[in-house]
Amino acid sequence: MADETMMDDLVTLTYEELLPPNTVRFAEALVDGRILGQRCHVCARVYVPPKGYCPLDVVLLDADDDVEVSDRGVVTGFTIVAPVRYYGQTKTEPFVYASVLLDGASGTLGGQDITGVPTDQVHAGMRVRAVWKPKEERTTKGQSARGWGNVEGCISSFEATGEPDVPRAEFEEHVI
Amino acid sequence: MSRPAAIIGVGQTKHAKARADLSIPGLCREAAGRALADAGLDWPDIEAVVIGKAPDAFEGIMQPELFLADALGATGKPMLRVHTAGSVGGSTVIVASHLVESGIHGRVLAVAWEKQSEGNAQWGLAGGRSGGIGAGGAFAPYIRAYMERSRAPEYIGWQVAVKDRLNALKNPYAHLQLADISLEKVKESPMLWDPIHFLESCPSSDGACAVVIGDEDAAAATPRPPAWVVATSVRSEPSTFPGRDAVRPQAGVDCAHDVYRQAGITDPKAQIDVAELYVPFSWYEPMWLEGHDIAGAGEGWKMVDSGETDLGGAFPVNPSGGVLSTNAIGASGMLRMAEAANQVRGQAGEHQVDGARVSLGQAYGGNAQYFAMAIFSSTRS
Amino acid sequence: MPATDIAIVGWAQTPAVARTDATEPQLCMQANLAAIAMAGIERSDIGFTCAGSCDYLTGGPFAFVQNLDAAGAWPPIAESHVEMDGAWALYEAWVRLQHGDIDVALVFGSGKSSPSDPAELYPQQLDPYYLEPLGLDPASIAALQARALLDTGRATERDFAEVVARSRRDARTNPNAHVRDEDDPERLLAAPYTRNPLRAHDVAPVSDGAAAVVLATARRARQLTEHPVFIRGIDHRVDVHQPGMRDLATSPSTADAARRAGLGDAPVEVAELAAVSSPQELIVRDAMGLGDGVAVNPSGGPLGANPVMATGLIRIIEAARRVADGTARRAVAHATNGQALQHNLVCVLEGES
Repeated sequence: MADETMMDDLVTLTYEELLPPNTVRFAEALVDGRILGQRCHVCARVYVPPKGYCPLDVVLLDADDDVEVSDRGVVTGFTIVAPVRYYGQTKTEPFVYASVLLDGASGTLGGQDITGVPTDQVHAGMRVRAVWKPKEERTTKGQSARGWGNVEGCISSFEATGEPDVPRAEFEEHVI
Repeated sequence: MSRPAAIIGVGQTKHAKARADLSIPGLCREAAGRALADAGLDWPDIEAVVIGKAPDAFEGIMQPELFLADALGATGKPMLRVHTAGSVGGSTVIVASHLVESGIHGRVLAVAWEKQSEGNAQWGLAGGRSGGIGAGGAFAPYIRAYMERSRAPEYIGWQVAVKDRLNALKNPYAHLQLADISLEKVKESPMLWDPIHFLESCPSSDGACAVVIGDEDAAAATPRPPAWVVATSVRSEPSTFPGRDAVRPQAGVDCAHDVYRQAGITDPKAQIDVAELYVPFSWYEPMWLEGHDIAGAGEGWKMVDSGETDLGGAFPVNPSGGVLSTNAIGASGMLRMAEAANQVRGQAGEHQVDGARVSLGQAYGGNAQYFAMAIFSSTRS
Repeated sequence: MPATDIAIVGWAQTPAVARTDATEPQLCMQANLAAIAMAGIERSDIGFTCAGSCDYLTGGPFAFVQNLDAAGAWPPIAESHVEMDGAWALYEAWVRLQHGDIDVALVFGSGKSSPSDPAELYPQQLDPYYLEPLGLDPASIAALQARALLDTGRATERDFAEVVARSRRDARTNPNAHVRDEDDPERLLAAPYTRNPLRAHDVAPVSDGAAAVVLATARRARQLTEHPVFIRGIDHRVDVHQPGMRDLATSPSTADAARRAGLGDAPVEVAELAAVSSPQELIVRDAMGLGDGVAVNPSGGPLGANPVMATGLIRIIEAARRVADGTARRAVAHATNGQALQHNLVCVLEGES
């Protein structure tokens, strides 16, 4: 009798999902070099990217609630991830994973790479600005109906501006 | 309108990186069979089955409770499948307890499991995409924020990591048995998600846990002491929103205060004898001590530093070795409840806290946004 | 049965469609807001919330977390989730309300089936060691069940076509259903088989949608509405998973759940059944012992719209609607989970006696 105890069963499932209007508008603005947020007409918080609703007031939002936010902001929290091997993983080197609070936004943009300083100097409070891809190279890659908002098709990273750090108290509320 | 309910049987598997000797149904039955035996019951005595596990993508089976119905003696009975991310093992116990407290059933089996060796949890946590950050990557920024806010010394995380692994040596079911663990080893281990070191992180385990919850009649008939469920609570908050304090989530504070209120506890540190808290990364021990108001703001790490949370200390935390020593993700929350219950039943063997009468079980999940907590007592109220 | 009477005091569903660009949380929020408005309550009145959805259907681990946005979880709420149809979330909320410390609960169920191919997805729902590797798709399993039923002589293919025809006619008048296709039994029978003995129309469509229900204890329900719909009985039972190990032409779990829910205590005028294939309707009717006088699936049933994970909850809603508006004094709703009627829930509803 064979000593087989494990059997590989690789499965591929394909999901094709229409992007909601709020994500389509976000993606189109991004290709155009602008970052869209959405302001809740009840509490005035600005969500980036637009979700089509405010989860705190439980109200639906639409294009009338769209606002543009700056492409500059502050790193509010980060980690450096040592990549793990798994099917589909393409990262091989430790990478920065940071949350950036853009000027004008109430919520952070997560999962951003920070460049312009050595990795061990990345810290919360540092001022950053978007590093845009050249216009002809921008795509809507990475957009999905779910997730924290993907800018990877248009913005390759956020780089240090060299401005003085923002005091902790000003971004303490936005660690995520 | 609410009847007394008690955990009258506890069972768990020997947790390991890979239980290649068992299929998934076998894993569940090892735990469930032990829980039934512990309760002095057999499969036909169970009236309903509640199953909990973490995302199905971890093993690649959609709604696995459907095929497990046969193995868990659920056919012909009501079966529920709870899914609340990492807190699921805890919330599963709570859902099962409601079935008894409502008077609908007298004996309910709750099972939670994960067979991580038969899937890929890292792939699952990454949503099948490249650049996954795992669970640690999500929590690392909160941990860093706690360290900065509290100004805790850097060795606190290493200390918790050592304490829990030493406790695990007294738990024959625990996955990690690291007899040579030391502060130095933890400090020198590779950084996974800055500032979390490898040895400050939970392992990836295959494991299952099961409890039998019974009503007063069932508790009276059971051979070993019951653990009365005197309080339960669940609280959830959205994963991200502007102004969210992910370091001390409000849902965690509210959940704790709800169980304390139900149990008549006004001074948790003094009135709770032992706690099993979901600590998958060592810094979460001081964070939850503060996050559930057992310690004041900035004081949680001092409880660790002074040895209060050691097995022999004034407020033992995770005498079982906790999630840091065993993490079959779906099961971990139930293991916290089961271990907390076993403490007040006097059934914790070598890691028993002497004289434990009131215990706290806690599980959290998602982006530190789902909380399930329960208070167990050796007496009915 | 426990002492506390629970009633349905509000409900809502998004109009089911074949494909929407709205996200699942957006659909849930629409349904929740409308149900809350119908019940005439504030969000702060809700003591417990429970959701039903399926990560694999939505297409990612932890997918259900996003739907929490639609539950109004700030300040934090007492909330839970089942990886099951919203009908089971309703069951959990009904149990929770028995405690007596809260008197209102919100329940919702949701799913977008359009992004995936059922033939690719649902084999993952089967025994991973023995069945999943066979790639057994749900339409084939439904066909096995259909064949089992035909072989008993209790039904014919014409019976299947008549179920479909009636369902489609009724779906035309249901603004929340979306199937608007052929409803003549002769022409249906002339269509080619897709999985002999079933034709494409014998299987429920792919739909996107969400639904929500507000429950309240009896005392509170009477304060909120003149037409509370009482849950007189609710029960659910699961059968053996392996389709080869049970009689697919019968549904003992449905019969058992119906008996325990007290269906037989008095006649019902309306039955909303979550039969996702035409033969399943006949099997469930039989298991429940429903007579010819019962109106089955006046909403058009799942053959008119099948937003999986909400379909069962919608059956409860459609039955409740007809009790509240006086069409029926007593009604029954059925929900199902898994393939070929493996797991079944029965809910008996009545107006104020």
